[in-house]
Amino acid sequence: MSLIKCEMLTKSYGSKLALDGVSIELKSGSPIALVGPNGAGKTTLFSLLCGYLIPSCGSVTIMGEKPGSRKLLGKVASLPQDATLDPNLNLITQFTLFGTLQGLTAKQAKAESLRVLSLVDLAHVVEQKPQSLSHGMSKRASIAQALIGSPQLVLLDEPTAGLDPANAKVIRELVRALSSDITFVISSHNLDELEKLCDQVLYLDQGKLGQSVSIQENMTDEYLTVSMQECEDELFVSALESLTGINSVTKKQENEYLIHYSAEEIHDIEVQFFTLISKNGWKYRALLKGRTLEDKLFS
Amino acid sequence: MEPNADSGLMRNTLILAKFELKKLLFNPRGLIALVAFSLVWLLLLLYPIRSASSFLLNPDFKQLIAGVFGEESISQLFQWQVAEMAILWISALYIFPLFSIFVSADQFASDRQRGTFRFLTLRTGRDSLFLGRYIGHMLIQTLLLLFTILATVLLAMSRDATLLLPALTSGVIVFINMIIILAPFTALMAILSLYANSARQATIYAILLWAVSAIVLAIINNYIPSIAGLLHWTLPGAQLSLMINTQGMGSFVYAPIPVIQTLVLLFLGRTYMKRSSL
Repeated sequence: MSLIKCEMLTKSYGSKLALDGVSIELKSGSPIALVGPNGAGKTTLFSLLCGYLIPSCGSVTIMGEKPGSRKLLGKVASLPQDATLDPNLNLITQFTLFGTLQGLTAKQAKAESLRVLSLVDLAHVVEQKPQSLSHGMSKRASIAQALIGSPQLVLLDEPTAGLDPANAKVIRELVRALSSDITFVISSHNLDELEKLCDQVLYLDQGKLGQSVSIQENMTDEYLTVSMQECEDELFVSALESLTGINSVTKKQENEYLIHYSAEEIHDIEVQFFTLISKNGWKYRALLKGRTLEDKLFS
Repeated sequence: MEPNADSGLMRNTLILAKFELKKLLFNPRGLIALVAFSLVWLLLLLYPIRSASSFLLNPDFKQLIAGVFGEESISQLFQWQVAEMAILWISALYIFPLFSIFVSADQFASDRQRGTFRFLTLRTGRDSLFLGRYIGHMLIQTLLLLFTILATVLLAMSRDATLLLPALTSGVIVFINMIIILAPFTALMAILSLYANSARQATIYAILLWAVSAIVLAIINNYIPSIAGLLHWTLPGAQLSLMINTQGMGSFVYAPIPVIQTLVLLFLGRTYMKRSSL
């Protein structure tokens, strides 16, 4: 059974169409990314999946059930964008309530709350009220609440926006560690991050679902993306293009090049590439098999 | 660790109701509200209720009142065995519904506004959330009412210790009656609180609703008095003025009106909750 199934899912706010006939079917497994510009309808799609909003048209099911149905309680969790915890109650009180509502006893719920808050490194502030936490800490607390119990699907709306790099890394590691048991759907503007975490990327623009990109395809893609430390621009391009089996070399941005080759004609492209740069004394910074997510989505 | 699917409705409703009560009792803000409420009642108990009961026991005063309002209109007021309870009854009939509008104005408004609901609706059904909050706010008012009645019983006993039993009996009747009276007010505030963006806005909506209804009813009454007479009963509190002149078991005559209003309002609120965006 598919985890998420949307058929011609449409949501409009008055005359504004926020989501326009989206049809997707997603299976459980590796994290799934949802990208798109501001106002593309990502948060609307998340809200429909969580049952916060009711579709104007079309249908959506999660594990065969309508969002918000009793059978999904506790199985679907989310980090909603812009939602804040009750400012008058401390974290542990609120988390324990969440746990008991999910069927745990008060004691189990408290232990579970401490466990999830420790996961995001907030064990030392459990007695504090959300008001006294920094933006990043509040965000981590909101992520922690999504992990209470044993959810099967966790929707994270911009989980690392506003987090410092160290904490963003902690969250990424957490998602990676838990993704064998939980399917995550993550919306983010940080393409590098999604590239590291997700297998499948959905692109939403102006309420419509565009292309769906698989990171796994990189392995069979006949592209190499190289970032160079220092090299002479034109010389580098022409030297590469002179190799047999190279179709084109395009400069994408400062010191970043996309090499398109034909796998049938050139079997040892990496070896030839390194030979070339060592011969010319050039230095490289990174070599990526395939194209960057940014390049796939926006070119 | 498995979440409960079907048996959860009652369980979660109770958890949420208890949590509302806990929020009041273990939170500085809630405690301040409780102290403010107690002070208002302390003043009422010490001055109007204590002094008015001595008036009620005075035959000259009874004659004066009967002369002004007519023998029948408030005759029951002098039938109360404990005079303090009679004055409490009259004050509570109007003051408690007013309190109810303020106390239960934030059943949903601020949680919905800041998105806190979004954390709850993935864990519990909207039915439990609606009913749990409603019951929680009824529990808060029950607690306030209980304090007030016990204080009145003590006040009556300080005058005459033999009044303990009659005061307790009247107290129980007043208590049950007041709970029934407050139920539709709290249910109406639940709906307004769902619609409003803040507790203050919900209170303003409540004032507007009663004011506009009074004007509309007056206009209808001018043209079709029979319909206005019926419509009058749809508003919570419609029976209050008639209840002043009731006492003892007789005061339960009007109970069906608030009970029906509550059931209708709860049904409407639940439907609204199910369909609203969070």
